Amino acid sequence: MAARRSRLELIFDILLAIQNKGGKIKPTHLMYKSNLSHKLLNNYLEELIEKELVMIEEEFSRKKKKSTKTVVLTDKGIGFLAEFRRMREFTNAFGL
Amino acid sequence: MFRLFFTPGWFNGIDLVFNIVSLIIALFIAGYTWKIYKVNQDNKYCYFSIAFLLISISLAFKAFTSSVLYYAPIRDSVLVALAPAVGPKLKFADLFYRGAFFMQMASMLGGLLLIFLISQKSRERLRKLHEVTQIALFVYLVLLISVISNFKFVVFYLTSVVLLALVVLNYYKNYLNTNRNGNAYRVMLAFLLILLGNINFVFVSVSNVLYVFGEALVLIGFLLLLHTYHRVTRVK
Repeated sequence: MAARRSRLELIFDILLAIQNKGGKIKPTHLMYKSNLSHKLLNNYLEELIEKELVMIEEEFSRKKKKSTKTVVLTDKGIGFLAEFRRMREFTNAFGL
Repeated sequence: MFRLFFTPGWFNGIDLVFNIVSLIIALFIAGYTWKIYKVNQDNKYCYFSIAFLLISISLAFKAFTSSVLYYAPIRDSVLVALAPAVGPKLKFADLFYRGAFFMQMASMLGGLLLIFLISQKSRERLRKLHEVTQIALFVYLVLLISVISNFKFVVFYLTSVVLLALVVLNYYKNYLNTNRNGNAYRVMLAFLLILLGNINFVFVSVSNVLYVFGEALVLIGFLLLLHTYHRVTRVK
C-alpha cells in the first residue's frame, strides 16, 4: 500500500495536474486527476487561491448558455512547482 | 602551547582555508534545509539544519584555535583579551584551548549523531516525545566523549569514524531505495570521503602526513556535497 501523501505533496499533485493540462483545468477534472474528494479539493483550492498559486476564471459558454469555472495556474504557482521539485530532489539525495 | 597533535609546518594555514571552505558549504546546506523546514514545518528538516549548523560551529572553533596557534598577532590579541581572566602569567592558557577543543568536538559529534538519527528513516523518529528524549542520553555521551577526547584525542576521531560509518551505511540504503539516484550516490560518496579523512586522523600519531591526507579527503567530501547541493537546486 502506498504511503499517505503529505499536505505539501497534495498541493504539489493539484498544481502538477493543472500544469499537465496546459495551465487550465475544470474543477471536476482536477478532482479526478488529483485523486481527492470534492470537499477536500475545495478546501485546498481555497488555500491555493488565498496564496495566489491558482486563480478561478469564469467563462460564459454560448453553446451551453451558462458560465463555466476553470482553475488557472498562476506564475507564482509555476514558481512553487519548480521550487517543490528542487526540495524533493534535495530530500531524496539527503535521505530525508 | 596546548595542542592535540602536531601537524606538518608547511601545511599550517592551508588546513585553515580547507576548514573555512567546509564551514561555508555546511552553512549552505543548513540554510537550504531551514528554508524547506519553513515551507513544510516537518521537524526532521529542522534537526537536519541544526546538524549542519553544529558541524559549521565545530569547523569555526577548529579554524579559530588553529589560527591562534599558527599566527602570532591573533594569539597576542587573544592573550590580551584573556589576561583579566587568566592572570598575567597566563598559566591557565591551556584551559582556553581545552574549552575550544571541547566545543569543536561536542558540536561535531552532536552534528554527526543528528545526521545519523535522521538518516535512520524510522517513520516516527524525532516526532514523538519519547524519541526526542532519547537525544538527552546521546547528548550526555557526546559531552562525555568530548571531555575525554581532550586528554586522548583518538577517542574523538574514533567516535566520529563510527558515526560516519553508520551514516554512510544509511546513505547506501537510501541510494538503493531511491532507484540508484545519482545525487543520493554523490551524498553517500561525500560522507564516505569524510569517513576516510577521519580514519586518517585516527592514525595521525603514526605520521603527521596523514593529517594532510585527512584534511584533503574531508575537503573533497564537502566539495562533493556542494556539487550535489548545486545540482539539486538547479532542477527546473
